[in-house]
Amino acid sequence: MKETRKWIFHRVGAVIMAPLFVWLYFSLISLSTKNYSEAIYFFKTPLFEVLTIALFFVSFFHAKISLSEIFEDYIHNEKIKDVANISVLILSIIVPVIILILLIYKI
Amino acid sequence: MTDNQNPLSPHLQIYRWHISSLISITHRISGVINLFTLILIFFWLLFLSLGESNYELFLLMINSFIGKFILIGFTWSMNFHLLSGIRHLVWDFGYGFEIKTANISGIIVITSSLVLTVIFWLLGRGLI
Repeated sequence: MKETRKWIFHRVGAVIMAPLFVWLYFSLISLSTKNYSEAIYFFKTPLFEVLTIALFFVSFFHAKISLSEIFEDYIHNEKIKDVANISVLILSIIVPVIILILLIYKI
Repeated sequence: MTDNQNPLSPHLQIYRWHISSLISITHRISGVINLFTLILIFFWLLFLSLGESNYELFLLMINSFIGKFILIGFTWSMNFHLLSGIRHLVWDFGYGFEIKTANISGIIVITSSLVLTVIFWLLGRGLI
Protein backbone atom coordinates (compact mmCIF):
# COMPACT_ATOMS: atom_id res chain seq x y z
CA MET A 1 0.00 0.00 0.00
CA LYS A 2 1.28 3.49 -0.81
CA GLU A 3 2.56 5.45 2.16
CA THR A 4 0.25 8.42 1.57
CA ARG A 5 -2.80 6.19 1.52
CA LYS A 6 -1.63 4.44 4.72
CA TRP A 7 -1.21 7.84 6.35
CA ILE A 8 -4.77 8.86 5.43
CA PHE A 9 -6.33 5.52 6.50
CA HIS A 10 -4.44 5.77 9.77
CA ARG A 11 -5.95 9.19 10.55
CA VAL A 12 -9.46 8.38 9.30
CA GLY A 13 -9.42 5.23 11.43
CA ALA A 14 -8.32 7.24 14.45
CA VAL A 15 -11.18 9.74 14.06
CA ILE A 16 -13.75 6.92 13.71
CA MET A 17 -12.37 5.02 16.71
CA ALA A 18 -12.00 7.89 19.17
CA PRO A 19 -15.69 8.28 20.17
CA LEU A 20 -16.33 4.53 19.90
CA PHE A 21 -13.53 3.65 22.30
CA VAL A 22 -14.75 6.20 24.84
CA TRP A 23 -18.11 4.41 24.64
CA LEU A 24 -16.62 0.87 24.80
CA TYR A 25 -14.19 1.54 27.68
CA PHE A 26 -16.88 3.29 29.67
CA SER A 27 -19.31 0.41 29.01
CA LEU A 28 -16.77 -2.24 29.97
CA ILE A 29 -15.93 -0.45 33.23
CA SER A 30 -19.66 -0.47 33.99
CA LEU A 31 -19.99 -4.13 32.98
CA SER A 32 -17.15 -5.10 35.32
CA THR A 33 -19.55 -4.59 38.24
CA LYS A 34 -22.49 -6.35 36.58
CA ASN A 35 -23.37 -10.02 36.08
CA TYR A 36 -23.34 -12.43 33.15
CA SER A 37 -26.86 -11.79 31.84
CA GLU A 38 -26.35 -8.03 31.80
CA ALA A 39 -23.13 -8.46 29.80
CA ILE A 40 -24.94 -10.77 27.34
CA TYR A 41 -27.78 -8.27 27.06
CA PHE A 42 -25.28 -5.48 26.33
CA PHE A 43 -23.36 -7.30 23.60
CA LYS A 44 -26.53 -8.76 22.08
CA THR A 45 -28.01 -5.31 21.47
CA PRO A 46 -27.74 -5.25 17.63
CA LEU A 47 -26.22 -1.75 17.43
CA PHE A 48 -23.60 -2.48 20.11
CA GLU A 49 -22.80 -5.83 18.50
CA VAL A 50 -22.13 -4.21 15.12
CA LEU A 51 -20.15 -1.33 16.68
CA THR A 52 -17.92 -3.72 18.65
CA ILE A 53 -17.14 -5.83 15.58
CA ALA A 54 -16.45 -2.73 13.44
CA LEU A 55 -14.29 -1.25 16.18
CA PHE A 56 -12.12 -4.36 16.28
CA PHE A 57 -11.57 -4.36 12.52
CA VAL A 58 -10.73 -0.63 12.39
CA SER A 59 -8.50 -0.65 15.48
CA PHE A 60 -6.45 -3.66 14.38
CA PHE A 61 -6.00 -2.02 10.99
CA HIS A 62 -4.80 1.14 12.76
CA ALA A 63 -2.50 -0.96 14.96
CA LYS A 64 -1.08 -2.80 11.94
CA ILE A 65 -0.09 0.45 10.20
CA SER A 66 1.38 1.94 13.40
CA LEU A 67 3.34 -1.16 14.38
CA SER A 68 4.88 -1.43 10.92
CA GLU A 69 6.05 2.14 11.35
CA ILE A 70 7.56 1.30 14.75
CA PHE A 71 9.27 -1.81 13.28
CA GLU A 72 10.66 0.41 10.54
CA ASP A 73 12.33 2.58 13.19
CA TYR A 74 13.65 -0.07 15.56
CA ILE A 75 14.23 -3.30 13.62
CA HIS A 76 17.17 -3.06 11.25
CA ASN A 77 17.36 -6.66 10.11
CA GLU A 78 15.14 -6.87 7.01
CA LYS A 79 14.25 -10.53 7.50
CA ILE A 80 13.19 -10.08 11.12
CA LYS A 81 11.23 -6.98 10.10
CA ASP A 82 9.36 -8.95 7.41
CA VAL A 83 8.53 -11.72 9.89
CA ALA A 84 7.33 -9.14 12.44
CA ASN A 85 5.17 -7.39 9.84
CA ILE A 86 3.60 -10.63 8.63
CA SER A 87 2.92 -11.80 12.22
CA VAL A 88 1.15 -8.55 13.03
CA LEU A 89 -0.82 -8.72 9.78
CA ILE A 90 -2.02 -12.25 10.61
CA LEU A 91 -2.90 -11.22 14.20
CA SER A 92 -4.78 -8.14 12.99
CA ILE A 93 -6.94 -10.26 10.68
CA ILE A 94 -7.49 -13.29 12.94
CA VAL A 95 -8.53 -11.48 16.15
CA PRO A 96 -11.31 -9.35 14.57
CA VAL A 97 -12.59 -12.38 12.62
CA ILE A 98 -12.78 -14.45 15.82
CA ILE A 99 -14.58 -11.55 17.53
CA LEU A 100 -17.05 -11.50 14.65
CA ILE A 101 -17.70 -15.24 14.97
CA LEU A 102 -17.95 -15.07 18.78
CA LEU A 103 -20.40 -12.19 18.81
CA ILE A 104 -22.64 -13.44 16.02
CA TYR A 105 -22.71 -17.19 16.70
CA LYS A 106 -21.54 -17.86 20.25
CA ILE A 107 -22.89 -15.09 22.45
CA MET B 1 11.93 -4.13 1.12
CA THR B 2 15.65 -3.54 0.34
CA ASP B 3 15.06 -0.36 -1.67
CA ASN B 4 12.93 1.29 1.03
CA GLN B 5 14.01 4.93 1.22
CA ASN B 6 11.62 6.09 3.99
CA PRO B 7 13.36 8.35 6.54
CA LEU B 8 14.26 6.80 9.91
CA SER B 9 13.30 8.49 13.20
CA PRO B 10 16.27 9.35 15.44
CA HIS B 11 16.45 7.30 18.62
CA LEU B 12 15.59 8.32 22.17
CA GLN B 13 18.89 8.19 24.03
CA ILE B 14 20.37 11.05 22.00
CA TYR B 15 18.02 13.72 23.36
CA ARG B 16 17.61 15.76 26.50
CA TRP B 17 14.09 15.22 27.86
CA HIS B 18 11.38 17.73 26.96
CA ILE B 19 7.61 17.57 27.29
CA SER B 20 7.40 17.06 23.53
CA SER B 21 9.74 14.06 23.47
CA LEU B 22 8.20 12.58 26.61
CA ILE B 23 4.73 12.68 25.03
CA SER B 24 6.01 11.45 21.69
CA ILE B 25 7.45 8.24 23.13
CA THR B 26 4.55 7.79 25.57
CA HIS B 27 2.19 8.03 22.59
CA ARG B 28 3.95 5.08 20.99
CA ILE B 29 4.17 3.06 24.19
CA SER B 30 0.52 3.71 25.06
CA GLY B 31 -0.44 2.66 21.54
CA VAL B 32 1.28 -0.69 22.04
CA ILE B 33 -0.36 -1.05 25.48
CA ASN B 34 -3.73 -0.36 23.83
CA LEU B 35 -3.12 -3.35 21.58
CA PHE B 36 -2.80 -5.48 24.73
CA THR B 37 -6.07 -3.96 25.96
CA LEU B 38 -7.74 -5.06 22.74
CA ILE B 39 -6.45 -8.57 23.37
CA LEU B 40 -7.86 -8.37 26.92
CA ILE B 41 -11.25 -7.30 25.49
CA PHE B 42 -10.96 -10.25 23.12
CA PHE B 43 -10.58 -12.54 26.16
CA TRP B 44 -13.46 -10.72 27.84
CA LEU B 45 -15.73 -11.73 24.96
CA LEU B 46 -14.21 -15.20 24.81
CA PHE B 47 -15.05 -15.81 28.49
CA LEU B 48 -18.52 -14.38 27.88
CA SER B 49 -19.05 -16.94 25.12
CA LEU B 50 -17.90 -19.77 27.41
CA GLY B 51 -20.93 -19.43 29.66
CA GLU B 52 -21.88 -18.05 33.03
CA SER B 53 -19.48 -19.87 35.35
CA ASN B 54 -16.46 -19.02 33.21
CA TYR B 55 -17.55 -15.41 32.95
CA GLU B 56 -17.93 -15.21 36.74
CA LEU B 57 -14.33 -16.40 37.01
CA PHE B 58 -13.23 -13.68 34.58
CA LEU B 59 -15.10 -11.03 36.60
CA LEU B 60 -13.36 -12.29 39.72
CA MET B 61 -9.98 -11.83 38.01
CA ILE B 62 -10.61 -8.30 36.75
CA ASN B 63 -12.08 -7.22 40.08
CA SER B 64 -9.03 -8.39 42.04
CA PHE B 65 -6.52 -5.76 43.15
CA ILE B 66 -4.11 -6.56 40.31
CA GLY B 67 -7.00 -6.77 37.84
CA LYS B 68 -8.27 -3.31 38.75
CA PHE B 69 -4.74 -1.91 38.69
CA ILE B 70 -4.26 -3.23 35.14
CA LEU B 71 -7.68 -2.03 33.96
CA ILE B 72 -7.12 1.48 35.36
CA GLY B 73 -3.69 1.54 33.71
CA PHE B 74 -5.21 0.42 30.41
CA THR B 75 -7.90 3.11 30.71
CA TRP B 76 -5.25 5.78 31.25
CA SER B 77 -3.25 4.43 28.31
CA MET B 78 -6.25 4.76 26.00
CA ASN B 79 -7.15 8.23 27.28
CA PHE B 80 -3.59 9.41 26.83
CA HIS B 81 -3.29 7.94 23.34
CA LEU B 82 -6.63 9.44 22.34
CA LEU B 83 -5.84 12.95 23.61
CA SER B 84 -2.29 12.87 22.28
CA GLY B 85 -3.75 11.63 18.98
CA ILE B 86 -6.03 14.67 18.82
CA ARG B 87 -2.92 16.81 19.37
CA HIS B 88 -1.28 15.01 16.45
CA LEU B 89 -4.35 15.60 14.26
CA VAL B 90 -4.22 19.32 15.03
CA TRP B 91 -0.56 19.28 13.99
CA ASP B 92 -1.53 17.45 10.79
CA PHE B 93 -3.73 20.42 9.94
CA GLY B 94 -0.72 22.67 10.46
CA TYR B 95 -1.57 24.29 13.81
CA GLY B 96 0.14 24.42 17.20
CA PHE B 97 3.77 24.00 16.20
CA GLU B 98 5.11 26.96 18.22
CA ILE B 99 7.25 25.66 21.12
CA LYS B 100 5.14 27.44 23.72
CA THR B 101 1.84 26.17 22.26
CA ALA B 102 3.21 22.64 21.94
CA ASN B 103 4.36 22.66 25.56
CA ILE B 104 1.00 23.93 26.81
CA SER B 105 -0.97 21.40 24.72
CA GLY B 106 1.38 18.71 26.03
CA ILE B 107 0.66 19.59 29.65
CA ILE B 108 -3.06 19.66 28.84
CA VAL B 109 -2.79 16.15 27.34
CA ILE B 110 -1.01 14.74 30.42
CA THR B 111 -3.31 16.28 33.03
CA SER B 112 -6.59 15.70 31.21
CA SER B 113 -5.69 12.05 30.50
CA LEU B 114 -5.36 11.55 34.27
CA VAL B 115 -8.55 13.49 35.06
CA LEU B 116 -10.48 11.61 32.36
CA THR B 117 -9.34 8.26 33.79
CA VAL B 118 -10.62 9.21 37.25
CA ILE B 119 -13.93 10.39 35.76
CA PHE B 120 -14.30 7.16 33.74
CA TRP B 121 -13.84 5.01 36.82
CA LEU B 122 -16.00 7.08 39.15
CA LEU B 123 -18.86 7.26 36.63
CA GLY B 124 -18.43 3.75 35.22
CA ARG B 125 -18.36 2.13 38.64
CA GLY B 126 -21.37 4.16 39.73
CA LEU B 127 -19.47 5.93 42.51
CA ILE B 128 -20.82 9.37 41.58
